[in-house]
Amino acid sequence: MPSQQYLIVFAQAHEDFRVPELLSIAELYGFPLNIENDIDPSRPFGVLDLEKEEHVRLLARRCILIKSVYELYAKGCTYEDVHRQNRASRHLWEKYIPNTSFKFVVNGYNHSISKARQRQVIEDFSYMGFMGTIDLLNPEVTLGCFEEYPNGHRTVRLEHKGASEFRDVFFGRLLEQGSARPLIQTFDVKKRQYFGNTSMEAEISLLMANQTLASPGKLIYDPFIGTGSMAYTTAHFGAFVFGSDIDGRQMRGKEAQPGIMRAAAQYGVRQRILDLCTFDITRNPWRCGGLFDAIITDPPYGVRAGAKRLGRKKERVADSPLPPQPRTDVQQYVPPTKPYELSALAADLVILARYLLKPGGRLVFFLPTVIDEYKELDLDSVLCDGMQVIANSLQDFGAWGRRLITIRKATSRSYPPPTFDSQPVPPALRDGDAEREGNPSSPIHVPAHRDFREKYFQGFKKPSDAGPS
Amino acid sequence: MVRLITHNLLACHAKGCTTNNFPLKLTDVKLALREADFNPDFLRGFLPRVEWDALIQASREIGDTSLPVERPEMLDDDLLRQLHHVLLEIHIDEGSMTCPNCGHVYPISNGIPNMLLAEHEIW
Ligand SMILES: C[S@@+](CC[C@H](N)C(=O)[O-])C[C@H]1O[C@@H](n2cnc3c(N)ncnc32)[C@H](O)[C@@H]1O
Ligand SMILES: [Zn+2]
Repeated sequence: MPSQQYLIVFAQAHEDFRVPELLSIAELYGFPLNIENDIDPSRPFGVLDLEKEEHVRLLARRCILIKSVYELYAKGCTYEDVHRQNRASRHLWEKYIPNTSFKFVVNGYNHSISKARQRQVIEDFSYMGFMGTIDLLNPEVTLGCFEEYPNGHRTVRLEHKGASEFRDVFFGRLLEQGSARPLIQTFDVKKRQYFGNTSMEAEISLLMANQTLASPGKLIYDPFIGTGSMAYTTAHFGAFVFGSDIDGRQMRGKEAQPGIMRAAAQYGVRQRILDLCTFDITRNPWRCGGLFDAIITDPPYGVRAGAKRLGRKKERVADSPLPPQPRTDVQQYVPPTKPYELSALAADLVILARYLLKPGGRLVFFLPTVIDEYKELDLDSVLCDGMQVIANSLQDFGAWGRRLITIRKATSRSYPPPTFDSQPVPPALRDGDAEREGNPSSPIHVPAHRDFREKYFQGFKKPSDAGPS
Repeated sequence: MVRLITHNLLACHAKGCTTNNFPLKLTDVKLALREADFNPDFLRGFLPRVEWDALIQASREIGDTSLPVERPEMLDDDLLRQLHHVLLEIHIDEGSMTCPNCGHVYPISNGIPNMLLAEHEIW
């Protein structure tokens, strides 16, 4: 099958999420997408080889990080190159020569291009001989020329200087503007009927929903649903959603009508929120496993909402039986809880997902981490047999960040329900953390997310920064 | 909310309560009917997960007798519509779910069931 090249113009955000999103949406629609090394995630332009134009259009309609997509006519690091290729692509554009209205846009990335130079660039394409009228408002065809300059190029300089120091020029015909991107406004937290201080920003909630391959007829679960941010985006793409949280107030808010249902109604997805339940995920009532197509969640890491589970800080001595407590008003009863350390929680979550997911189902969740300490090895402490990491994208906040991890249940075996007794990875030694790695006497790798909460509140200082104690 | 699809997936999980802990008995229910997306593929895919007897028992407890008592071998269009209605469109907004084994009462308020356990039910 002959393939055609398409230019993807990415939004300037969340670079690390671009390729995983493309791959997820291609998988969702079941077409092959071979990216290999074609896309450098740090660059805002990517060229894809696809069998059908329809495929790039599907990407543009679903990928949050796509600004626009073009049929690629030429790409080169000099204009001679570009024009030579463009002439060779004549079969792609000659049908527009006779009487198609058109418009030309010239854009620079990391560099602004003066009107005069834009005119010059357009002029240089005149050999294409388009005879239709120029229509700036409603053209039948939009031709785009993009000059990509290296990062750090955006400095004040005389216009004529550096104008040809671009890295690449891309030229092609606009197929579609990315139509999923405006959903970021639709799901804006500030315009939502119900939200809280744990609500996830709209753009990330949408990216997460795409990682789950949400679509009509799928069943997706958020076990730490809070105020429901990802439930709305997931349901928007057609899936049915279940949610649960240890704290009913997070889901309900103050009015009788639960807050999540009010916000869901605002987005027209109320009936796709199948149900919300109050329970501790480590004491859950699920009758069986193999239920969900995906689990999407932002687990508590103790910074804004408590990471907790039912229990007491000190385990009760076995032979002091509890007096049975009559429960007059169950809604009011708040059982005691104990803290839930992040490395134990993350390991439990993956085991739980392996139990609750259907074969091939996905777990999509955030793992907060310390940027300087993070190692790829950190994920080993989270994984279990049968579960495979397929994407790992960093959202960088400076000293810390959070990684959106996508894990696939790569087995059709059924597993027993989890016992929720994953032990926290042993804490790092007080001294010499750095040397620990290569030290054979301490073979256990301590992931950076261990004790994230404590590290967060200490401002991510290394023990050695703390001065004499 | 609570829909019967959910009810069909929830078992009592109090400490030591591992047999006869399903289905939870529905009482004092306040019902509402709300339309939902009809998706035959979803229903066919979900059917193998359904505990049929529990679904029949629960639907009769709340006054719906549209489904056949025997688990159907084949799902024709009529049956799919009925199953869709029973699983997804009947909502229990208030009421209780009681464990047939240990008697734990899980209350439903404003459509959200409280499945939390008390301290003495955990250890
Ligand atoms: C980071 S917040 C999730 C926020 C959510 N994505 C939103 O949009 O609001 C984590 C949630 O986990 C809940 N949680 C903490 N420990 C839990 C546990 N053991 N079981 C279930 N939920 C728990 C908290 O009540 C909190 O609502
Ligand atoms: Zn029970």
